[in-house]
Amino acid sequence: MTTEATMWPYLTPHQTRDHEPTPYELKLARTLEEIFTHDGHELADVVGGLNARQVRTPSGEPWTEETFRTEMHRLGA
Amino acid sequence: MPLSVSDTADHVYAHGLRNQWHPVVPSHFVAPGGLRKLTALGENWLLFRKADGTLSMLADRCPHRGAPLSLGKHLGDRVACWYHGVEVDGSGTVTSVPGLPGCNLEGKTLVTSLPVREVGGAILAYFGDDEHPEPADLTLPEPLTDPAVSAFLCYAEWDVPWRYAMENLLDPMHGAFLHHESHTMYDGDTQAKFRIRETERGYFFEKTDQRGVNFDWVELCRTGVDWVDLSIPYPPSAGPGGPFGIVGMACPVDAERTGVFFWRYRRVDDWQRDTWRFLYKTLIEERHWQVLEQDRVMLEAMPADADQYENLYQHDLGVVRLRRLYQGQAAQQSKAAPQS
Repeated sequence: MTTEATMWPYLTPHQTRDHEPTPYELKLARTLEEIFTHDGHELADVVGGLNARQVRTPSGEPWTEETFRTEMHRLGA
Repeated sequence: MPLSVSDTADHVYAHGLRNQWHPVVPSHFVAPGGLRKLTALGENWLLFRKADGTLSMLADRCPHRGAPLSLGKHLGDRVACWYHGVEVDGSGTVTSVPGLPGCNLEGKTLVTSLPVREVGGAILAYFGDDEHPEPADLTLPEPLTDPAVSAFLCYAEWDVPWRYAMENLLDPMHGAFLHHESHTMYDGDTQAKFRIRETERGYFFEKTDQRGVNFDWVELCRTGVDWVDLSIPYPPSAGPGGPFGIVGMACPVDAERTGVFFWRYRRVDDWQRDTWRFLYKTLIEERHWQVLEQDRVMLEAMPADADQYENLYQHDLGVVRLRRLYQGQAAQQSKAAPQS
């Protein structure tokens, strides 16, 4: 391999993503911010807040604490 | 060619202090089996990574005629200069002179090779001068080594002298003004009194009358590498886990350019950690970037002689302390006759 391009300056706003957020991920993230702002910071607040807002899991189910933990681990690890 | 003690103190102050570690570029800038040219402390360097991940940093200068090795070929465990094919390994030793086998350059270590470490997704290198080639003790910032902390690196390149980038960090009061419209630094008083508190590894510069509201304190840490630690509250939208911290470092590229390294970190675990990381990648990183851009725009617009014609006040004690520290060290590192 030869020398990689060295373009100055490196100014890349997103350095931690491995993909553009999907519409589902954006909606989930924005809803979580709304819940944290208005409902609370406990896990029960989050699960209750998502379900109250009719935001469903990718398979269309209501959230449980377990499915939320699993999904956050998948998306945030 | 190692950095020379015959450089003037002004040159050292402008191009970066020696005999310590500096960050150079993010680790992913040099892939396994790759070469990467870079400039640091005003000199040209070559990062060279073997397929197994082993990293070397060499002066970008063939020992034969001085051609840049970065234009050469990666041969797996060594690099071949494009000009005459002279081969140099990761330790800086000439392994072969293809045009004249048996040439007395073979077997000699003629290219400066800097000690390197990788931490938190960044490459650190030790820049000793010709009298201090052995690496200084390095204590890594604990937020980057503590498993209870989750961190993301943000790297950016600014057309700014390295010392302006550092002074900006020792100037917390700019948060309440420059970043007033940002998502994290909108709150708190726009008037403050500051104090300096010495520590064994550097000093705190902190507000005496407000904490945990804006960018209210910063600690300069000199642990073999210079870094700052600071903390900024998140709004409730960021969820549980408290404020986010920043470990900041700067790479003096040359007298006018700086690579800035900011690890945004948070003490979080379990679902709170995963949720923060998801929100960070999806929404928060972009907002942090906008704040960082405010710093870049302001610092790049500063006149070159900004620090020559100033009228400082009490909030600038942290900056003054930093300048004295760095200017004093630059003078110590130079054996050149002082310029009149």
